[in-house]
Amino acid sequence: MKDIKRHSAVAFKATPLKNQTYGDWDVVLEYHGEGDGPWLVDLSHRTRLDLQSADLAAKKPFGITIPEVYCQSVLEKGVLINRMNRIQASIYHLDGQSMDTPKEKEYTDVTEATIFVAIFGSNVFSICEKLSALDFIGADKQTPFLFQGPFSHVPCQIVTLGREAEKSGVVLTCSRGYGKHMIDGILHAGEEFGLKPAGEKRFADWINSL
Amino acid sequence: MALTITCPICGKRNGYEFRYGGEEKGPRPDEKDLTPESWCDYVHMNQCVAGVQQEWWFHRDGCGSWFTIFRDTTTNLEKETPEAKE
Amino acid sequence: MMNRFNHLPTLKIDVSDKIPFTYKGKTYYGTKGDTIATALYANGVRIYARSLKYHRPRGLYSMDGECSNTMMEVNGIPNVRTETTALKPGMVVKEQNVKGSAENDLMGFIDKMDWAMPAGFYYDTMHKPAKIWPVAMKQIRKAAGIGKLAPDHHMPGKYDEIFPSCDVCVIGGGPAGMKAALAAAQKGLRVSIMEARPWLGGHFEYRSSEYISRQTHHERAVQLAKEVEKTENIRVFTHTANVGVYNNNLITGFQVGKESDSFTERYIEIRANSVVVATGCIERPLLFENNERPGVMQAGCALRLANTYGILPGKIAVFSIGHDLGLETAVALHDLGLSIPVIADIREDGQDPAMLKAVLDRKITILKGWVATEAHGGKQVKKVTIKSVDGTISKTFDCDVLVASAGFTPLTGPLVVNQAKLTYDNHTNFFLPTDLPKKMYAAGRLLGFENAKSIEASGHLAGLKAAYDCENCSIADLGEAKKAMENLPGPARGTKLVTAPVKGRKTFICFDEDTSIKNIKQSIDKGFDVPELIKRFSGAGLGPGQGGIPGHNLPLFAAKYQALPDIKIKPTTVRAPLVPTLIATYAGTNHTMFKRTPMDEMQRKDGGIFRNIGVWQRARYFSKDFTCKKEIENVRTNVGMLDGSTLGKFRIHGPDALNALQRVYVSDLSKIKEGRVKYTAMCNDDGCVIDDGVVIKRGENDYYFSTSTGRAGQTIEWIRYHTRYDNWNFAVINLTDAMGVINLSGPNARKVLEKVVDIDVSNEGFGFSEYKEFKISDTIPVRAMRLGFVGELSYELHVPSSYMKSVWLMLKEAGREFKIQNFGVEAQNVLRMEKCHIILGQESEQRTNLLDIGLGFLWSRKKTGCKTVGVAALAQAEKDNTRLKLVGFKMENNGRAPKDGSLIVDDRVRGYVCTARNSFSLNEAVGMALVEGDMSKIGTRLAFYEDECKGELIYGTVVQTPFYDPDGKRMKM
Repeated sequence: MKDIKRHSAVAFKATPLKNQTYGDWDVVLEYHGEGDGPWLVDLSHRTRLDLQSADLAAKKPFGITIPEVYCQSVLEKGVLINRMNRIQASIYHLDGQSMDTPKEKEYTDVTEATIFVAIFGSNVFSICEKLSALDFIGADKQTPFLFQGPFSHVPCQIVTLGREAEKSGVVLTCSRGYGKHMIDGILHAGEEFGLKPAGEKRFADWINSL
Repeated sequence: MALTITCPICGKRNGYEFRYGGEEKGPRPDEKDLTPESWCDYVHMNQCVAGVQQEWWFHRDGCGSWFTIFRDTTTNLEKETPEAKE
Repeated sequence: MMNRFNHLPTLKIDVSDKIPFTYKGKTYYGTKGDTIATALYANGVRIYARSLKYHRPRGLYSMDGECSNTMMEVNGIPNVRTETTALKPGMVVKEQNVKGSAENDLMGFIDKMDWAMPAGFYYDTMHKPAKIWPVAMKQIRKAAGIGKLAPDHHMPGKYDEIFPSCDVCVIGGGPAGMKAALAAAQKGLRVSIMEARPWLGGHFEYRSSEYISRQTHHERAVQLAKEVEKTENIRVFTHTANVGVYNNNLITGFQVGKESDSFTERYIEIRANSVVVATGCIERPLLFENNERPGVMQAGCALRLANTYGILPGKIAVFSIGHDLGLETAVALHDLGLSIPVIADIREDGQDPAMLKAVLDRKITILKGWVATEAHGGKQVKKVTIKSVDGTISKTFDCDVLVASAGFTPLTGPLVVNQAKLTYDNHTNFFLPTDLPKKMYAAGRLLGFENAKSIEASGHLAGLKAAYDCENCSIADLGEAKKAMENLPGPARGTKLVTAPVKGRKTFICFDEDTSIKNIKQSIDKGFDVPELIKRFSGAGLGPGQGGIPGHNLPLFAAKYQALPDIKIKPTTVRAPLVPTLIATYAGTNHTMFKRTPMDEMQRKDGGIFRNIGVWQRARYFSKDFTCKKEIENVRTNVGMLDGSTLGKFRIHGPDALNALQRVYVSDLSKIKEGRVKYTAMCNDDGCVIDDGVVIKRGENDYYFSTSTGRAGQTIEWIRYHTRYDNWNFAVINLTDAMGVINLSGPNARKVLEKVVDIDVSNEGFGFSEYKEFKISDTIPVRAMRLGFVGELSYELHVPSSYMKSVWLMLKEAGREFKIQNFGVEAQNVLRMEKCHIILGQESEQRTNLLDIGLGFLWSRKKTGCKTVGVAALAQAEKDNTRLKLVGFKMENNGRAPKDGSLIVDDRVRGYVCTARNSFSLNEAVGMALVEGDMSKIGTRLAFYEDECKGELIYGTVVQTPFYDPDGKRMKM
């Protein structure tokens, strides 16, 4: 049984230029014709965790303090932690080597439950406003911050990481089952702005530029 | 939807994101000494006020919280407190 | 084609750029910047359409689409408002509602028949005898109605949608709106402006008159527009009609795309903190005989034809007006070469002295206190009679254009749809908004201001008020703006004349519905005395223009005709959409949004036929044989694979996890053991069963449970709702999409599975109702259960979604020697039905409780203190013998199965069929039905009444269940 592979629900029509294996995943580092942005990158292979506890303040996942304010996020050491509500936080692995799930019972690996994509580059919020009434550019928020709300009519978690010109961008998770149609919807909405699928390298460059 | 609901976690949002959970009626009655009538009253009887009522909402498309708000049923606008009047 | 001006600074056309289009089958040319209507006008077209009822000729009247006069069929789309629709190369334009042509309409004689059709004549005449109506209706509908559309018409174009947010939204991009936007933006707020016309500037834009010394109104409009456009935090939506304003300042509109835009039209839904409405005014139509004859037009229309589109409206024009804009128009058009024999001004006095001087300087005759009473000419205006307002003296003038306007009408629609009240104001003769909703302000001309500075200052003030609501403006700033207003002229006096001194038989208050003044009188005489009733009885304001023409005059006339001392009469209610909007625009992009399982791709390759079922797309069949014979037989005799990934799957953990489960599940879950599968159900507070599934204990207060497909989306909500007062500490995680599920079923299932996994899958090693966790190839974690939903040896494998493809391929490979096959949702449906395993929603409906469908054994009566949802109602229902019961039946005489949903009848309805099929496994037709309790005994004969059976009943008998393998040996083998 050598052929064990993991597959993302996100599949782009673009032709991969560079690949890399990541555990049992095949990850595309770069596609042909990625264009000048904005870009859409599949991060579904990166670990997502759910943490629920009545005492979140006592939890320090990966040594990081969970934000006290609801819907505020923190990005440290390549790990993004989003305060979802009184008892719940989501943890996304964004950068660096793979992340292990802590052994405590309060953590649940939910990597498989969602698709995970990044949309970044110029005009990202013009794409977003075609798909969602959420106000990404309102003045009362500081990046990174979390939205739990509908995007293309599907409940999502959306974290805005940058709001400045071409550094603008969000990462988004939604139920894995919606993967194909969500990607179709985003690419269709982004067509007029030149949105193209891109490899993970483009994402790493963006994260490092923030 | 014109209706907005203020979620204690996510803030003011479009009413479409929420599911209505009925009037606030207090916790479920004890099973002991429960008559069919009092049970039916708890489940089905509503005040249906024309004015401000406290009611439950679930942030279905958002954070997944159940919470209560005060809403004026005559204007479909949220109120800060049960007494709030125009 | 006439010569067009090309030197005016106000022009929006480029005469050097010719645009070809087709009209009545011939090619014509317009110029870039034209609307369809102006291009036609430039080509000499004066009659655009025929009216709905009397087939009267109709022409260009207002330019803003307030009536149906210029509605035409464009590129196959009916009822296009040609006066607001930009001309595009190659457009095919046709007339509507004509027999022959608009010029020579064979139905034109009907105009002479108006005596036979008084107001409400449908209601009065056509209902007796009732037999007449179907015949009459056909003829009337043939003659009336405007525009035709094939039922299968596919709307061409790209329709998009956006949902922007802002602090302040300004509706109307004229001087007041722009000043409001600038004021709010200067306070650092995000501002959006919606403007219906393709450019900013409002009524300043097309006027070449003086704003201040050495600056025209047009130049001022350009100056303000530039300032707005360069302000970064103002977002401008031009060519965007506002269609609705709702609670909490939700503003909707639609934008018409430019050539460079990626959309034909797009729906815009703005959520704003506060709103400024500065929609300005339209003109109030002047009421006189033949007031809608082609050639009669409003002042703004005449002026914009010339200044914006470079078209002189005619050669000789009589003016009958009631405001300074009328005088200004006369002066401007005179200077462009129009001959003006006379201006009849309704007003005795109060004209702007400078404007009056300009008129007199040009030696134009002006008669004060005069008004047009009749337009002459069969198809177009040829002559006009004017009279002194008291009707005593009259004069007649030859002309080809009559510029007619009684006054102004404020566009209060956006305020009114958001629940503002309108009150009559004696000074302006307007219905002015009062009791504005919170965080909503009105500004500019719609409040009655005519002075340019006052208009701008009121916009500025409204912008600051809106900013104040956003906590971005100080009281002092507000005070200053208010003070500035006080030093400027207030609202102008409005003309009060409603009708010229005429009888009104051909004086039309509503063009769309051909409602004359006489019809209004008839309505009132019949007792329909308030505008809302008059409107519905006479039709005035019911047409496509939605009251744009009669909206203001109707309540004024109703008050006048009834000699009411005080105008307490209210205008009719306007409702959204304020401007007619294409359904396609409302529909927007409409992306397909369904869930797909991790096996989707493989199943499609294997020929799966998919259906949208709930939120999922699922493989329902694997061949065109929708009875699924092969799929079913394969599972019964061999081995098949089903995609069960849509099942709801959850983890619940935390100190109160068990308490939470005990609250919602009817069984006592404190007793379940690790390694076992517990089947149980959830009820609602009425004891009606809403969900079933299995619960697996994986550790202390750590459970994995499944729900039915349809309930997955509501399960967390349900558990949290029913524990909301308890302050319990537990966590639920939805793993529905995290795990793919393969159901491997059939007598050969074990032989396939043992080739793939390393654990002992023998009946002893992995028995019925047991649960195992293991890894495939030390890599893929699997949660496996032995269940028997389809009634055969069966393994349900829950596999992380990303590994599903690999596991699927392994099982297919392992099953190759047995010729393993896919089976779909329909095959599963038949298989489980033969076994009498229920599917909630099929064997139950909203009122079906746990006991009715024979699942009472799941309910643990000994479980106390849990306040389990539904058990109070179940305890009551237990004593109730009137409820429906689920039974199994066979058909008589080897008959076919009845259709699902068929009724079970005797002398009345006694129940209905849930699922019934011709069973290949049993060689007979069987099914399950919900029937009244007394019919549930074995041996009861059931009569089935099918949809469209024409009274031919078929019969069956209640039998023991299950039908297939009653001892349950096969699923336990």
